[in-house]
Amino acid sequence: MSEETLRPAWSQHFTADAIQELLAQGPFAKLTPEWAWGGSTGKGIRVAVVDSGVEYDHPALGDCVKGGVIVEYDSKAKDNFRIKPDEMPADVSGHGTACAGIIHSIAPEAEIYSVRVLGRNMGGRAIQFAAGLDWAIENDMHVVNMSLSTSLEEFFGLFHDLADQAYFKNINLVSAVNNLPEPSYPSLFSSVISVAAHEGHDPFTYYYNPNPPVEFGAPGIDVEVAWNRKQYLTCTGNSFAAPHITGITALIRSKHPELTPFQVKSVLLACASNTRRAGK
Amino acid sequence: MSSEPGSREDNLSEQLQRLLKSIEASGRSVLPGSNDALLKSIVETAAKIFGAGAASILLVNEEEEALEFRVTTREADQELVGTRFPYDQGIAGYVFMTGLPIATSNVKEDRRFNEDFAKSTGYMPRSILAAPLTSADDQIIGVMEVLDKIDATSFDIHDMDLMGMFAQQASMAIDQSQQIEKIEQALVEGLKRLIKEDGVAQSPELLSTLDESLKDESTTTDLLELADVFNQISALGPAERKACLQILNTFAEFRKSTSVPRRFR
Repeated sequence: MSEETLRPAWSQHFTADAIQELLAQGPFAKLTPEWAWGGSTGKGIRVAVVDSGVEYDHPALGDCVKGGVIVEYDSKAKDNFRIKPDEMPADVSGHGTACAGIIHSIAPEAEIYSVRVLGRNMGGRAIQFAAGLDWAIENDMHVVNMSLSTSLEEFFGLFHDLADQAYFKNINLVSAVNNLPEPSYPSLFSSVISVAAHEGHDPFTYYYNPNPPVEFGAPGIDVEVAWNRKQYLTCTGNSFAAPHITGITALIRSKHPELTPFQVKSVLLACASNTRRAGK
Repeated sequence: MSSEPGSREDNLSEQLQRLLKSIEASGRSVLPGSNDALLKSIVETAAKIFGAGAASILLVNEEEEALEFRVTTREADQELVGTRFPYDQGIAGYVFMTGLPIATSNVKEDRRFNEDFAKSTGYMPRSILAAPLTSADDQIIGVMEVLDKIDATSFDIHDMDLMGMFAQQASMAIDQSQQIEKIEQALVEGLKRLIKEDGVAQSPELLSTLDESLKDESTTTDLLELADVFNQISALGPAERKACLQILNTFAEFRKSTSVPRRFR
């Protein structure tokens, strides 16, 4: 194996000595976090959490969970899945609740919808995941958090189509990159905001990586998170970095509803903690 | 080996008998890849690489809908090998359900960790790093755990990255070993049939040895049917074989293009 293939996964770009200072110039230098999300609460923004479900009555979530669906694998159904409503969502593992808790802590007035695609099924995780994302796109979400991905090559086309659909419908997709430096969908598509973990703890400190495909680094190490059965615990993983960026994206979209997905990404870059504004 | 013309069948039966004798002599395994030895070497390597106090592997047991504790480096836990846990229990259950790796510290506070189980072994890990073992077609075949980082309070993000790569390698080895076991079963079943049909080697001992090697026939049925078809095809002329290959290739291409929808609507 060459050194290239042996490099550590995507979080390597966000270690203290790897972060590069970037320069925002011209009109971009005028974009500040204060302008981007100062005073915003995420009000009016619908966020889908595509995951293991969300425990709707977890104390960390207030009453932000407004509904959801369960996507089940069904080899007899058309396209191998079926969707059931989930008005008072539960979480089969705790992972989705952890993501929702982080989003809610940053964007307290954003509405959260649980899209459960993970469970004790033996097969079809990728098709359930795709179907869940499709549901989010078709049901007028503004931001979709996906702390999961698939590396199955045959799903490239389907996820690419879904990412395009989301982009053209003004929906921001935020995805955690997986723990291997290998292709994973949809996290590494250019229209998706991909996120790995950095070692800091301040929820609003995030970095832009000028050497994509992974673009953003947010807190994901030893993060205190909500878990199912009203629990809290300390976890590490890129999974917990993505919802930080999802929360900030919800704040920006709420304050600036006119922005499109590519403008939101530009604002995120201009306001990243490693971006210096020209003249400052 | 004889090269006399017309003795092809004699040759085959001789070879079969020799092969079957070797199966008999070896007890069961005709192909390499003993699963237990492989699993053991994986956990031992994992414990060393991650500087962990212990490492273990649980594999999916589909019939029981459970994760079966298959191997561990801890001497004191050897008696637990074979114990089964429901899919949704403990940290292994979490990893199985989500397909996502996880690193947690302060494990006592983590109620996903099956505390009764840990207490029964008298061993409570401080930290756990767990990752799914995934087959080439994205099925989760098990969970690997490393426990108790020796030089630190918890496993960090670099351990997690490394675990992702290590689990991928381990998955490939385990998956292949499981496939080999299936092929081995199919091979033994095929030999058994040949004996019965040919009346070449009517040895009751041999048949009972083969029966023991094949407790679950259902898993091999499909492979056998396929093997039969290939067998028939191989007896045809080159033109027919070529036509069959073309049909199979076309089918494979068709599957590739249709197995996953490109769009939902």
